[in-house]
Amino acid sequence: MEKWDVVVVGGGPGGSYAAKTAAEKGLRTVFFERGEKPGEKNSSGAGLGTRWWRDFPEIMGKLPELPSYRKADMIVIKIIDEENRVRMVHGTTGSDRDGSRWSDSLDKGMAGAAIYRLDLDPLIADLAVQAGAELRTSTLISDVIMDGGTVTGVKTAKGESIQAEVVIAADGAMSTMARKAGMRNRWGGGCTIVPQLDFGCDGDKLDAVAGNAEWCWFGPFNGAYQMHFAESFHLGAGKWLRQDWDVKMTDGLERVMEIPAFRKFCKVVDAYPREYQVHLLPWLKKPVKSYTGGMMLVGDAGGFPCPLDGEGIWHACMSGRIAAETAAWAISRGDVSERALAEYERRWKASPLGLEHTFGDEFVELWDHSIFDPELMKKLIQLLLEFSEIHPFSVLFDWSDDHVSCLNQHIEHMFDMMPEFSDFASKYMSPLANTISPQVVKRALLQAKPKVPLFKFLPDDLYLKLLARLNGQIRSRLERV
Amino acid sequence: MYDFKIDIKKMVFHKEGDTGDFIQCDLEKCNGCGLCVKVCSANLWSVKDGKARLAPRYGELCLECAACWEICEPEAIDFSYPAAGTGVTIKYG
Repeated sequence: MEKWDVVVVGGGPGGSYAAKTAAEKGLRTVFFERGEKPGEKNSSGAGLGTRWWRDFPEIMGKLPELPSYRKADMIVIKIIDEENRVRMVHGTTGSDRDGSRWSDSLDKGMAGAAIYRLDLDPLIADLAVQAGAELRTSTLISDVIMDGGTVTGVKTAKGESIQAEVVIAADGAMSTMARKAGMRNRWGGGCTIVPQLDFGCDGDKLDAVAGNAEWCWFGPFNGAYQMHFAESFHLGAGKWLRQDWDVKMTDGLERVMEIPAFRKFCKVVDAYPREYQVHLLPWLKKPVKSYTGGMMLVGDAGGFPCPLDGEGIWHACMSGRIAAETAAWAISRGDVSERALAEYERRWKASPLGLEHTFGDEFVELWDHSIFDPELMKKLIQLLLEFSEIHPFSVLFDWSDDHVSCLNQHIEHMFDMMPEFSDFASKYMSPLANTISPQVVKRALLQAKPKVPLFKFLPDDLYLKLLARLNGQIRSRLERV
Repeated sequence: MYDFKIDIKKMVFHKEGDTGDFIQCDLEKCNGCGLCVKVCSANLWSVKDGKARLAPRYGELCLECAACWEICEPEAIDFSYPAAGTGVTIKYG
């Protein structure tokens, strides 16, 4: 029987990156893709953030050569009111201080990328092949081979058996491998579904209208993202798949397509919808158990996408890399048991991947109870608009009365509305304070110290200790690991 | 001039070739809730006599999203993948 060190199931970003890493570690590696080529079964956003330059520069450096590539250097959020008017536009990008971060040190500024999966997936698969892994396309893996609770190989749909020291399952949200090995079944409420439309358009006109910004739409409906590529864009709007489901899959997209500003945008860039895509996207508070004897789950199969924004490709590549490194470590020790592969979970938890999931509860709860709650969104947008009216620029251009009265009216409106949000704020906003690191808390306390009577004469250490002793909140914030 | 209708039949692309049977519904387990009908972009499910029914030629239309599998609380629906190299394909990106 055919035997490999590592068998990777799935030729998406997670699988290919695992195969690349395993081959680089000198392991005999094969990876399987059910499509005729990697990427042809996969649709997604697909935006790659600036951290890609730190973690996967070998991929980022090659993207500009690919046909769908567009640099992505900011996100523009468009807030829509109940009358479908664009009421607020907010741009997120790096501040000048970002010069102190790694992105600028690589001379890339705050530049990420937007790229089609049809371009990205074959690129990463090629890197794996160049590293020495063997790629088999048009091959569906339909079962695992088990020996006393340990996965020892896989079976193709045509019935061939292939043995492996370690199997890495990168076979997507539905993961046949995880199910056949008895690790899990359906997600049961933790999974979203993302319908998406691909629009063709005029690339030059898109340059002029959107430039290198990606767009998001938020309003008294679910949010939607609009990713711009070289001569096209994606409009996508996901939603959790739950028992109270009562909409048509395409409702969220159709809702955005009613917005006059969206229609005008389409007209200006000569856009036309040309492909409808839909895919599952696990959006969990915590990834599931990611290992069993002889097998590890990466990417969507392990439920790794970001609990705050649902980004999944970086998470797939990171988990793929860590799984392959763990495989090399386990094989060299001659132990691929479940106990040994628990090392995988220890490693990803200690990586940047683990930090986001440490706060999965806070992130998912916030999201679930804001953007996905149309009643709250209606009110939240009104509050945001009042907040924005207190902005110095807004006050300057408010001519409804004398500027002093205007400002005071807006502040009063805001106070009128705030009680409606006290429940939301205490349940879902306050817990976000948990994500603030002890270093930042310490710094805030020390920066305030000169203004605190009596305490200001204490040495820093003693001052912090005293505050922690006096206040339980401060104590727990300072102690968080 | 600008038609924003989502026409699934024109906007989804499939490869030639026999997909084989890749969705099964266990009628013993099915409770007839109809959620599979609601989540299917391609309208491949219906409920008759209190049980879910799958369109006979689903292989030519299914988008392989597996929403029907994920939403099915009694776990009556089993979803695998179509035969390698067949089924839905992303044409543009």
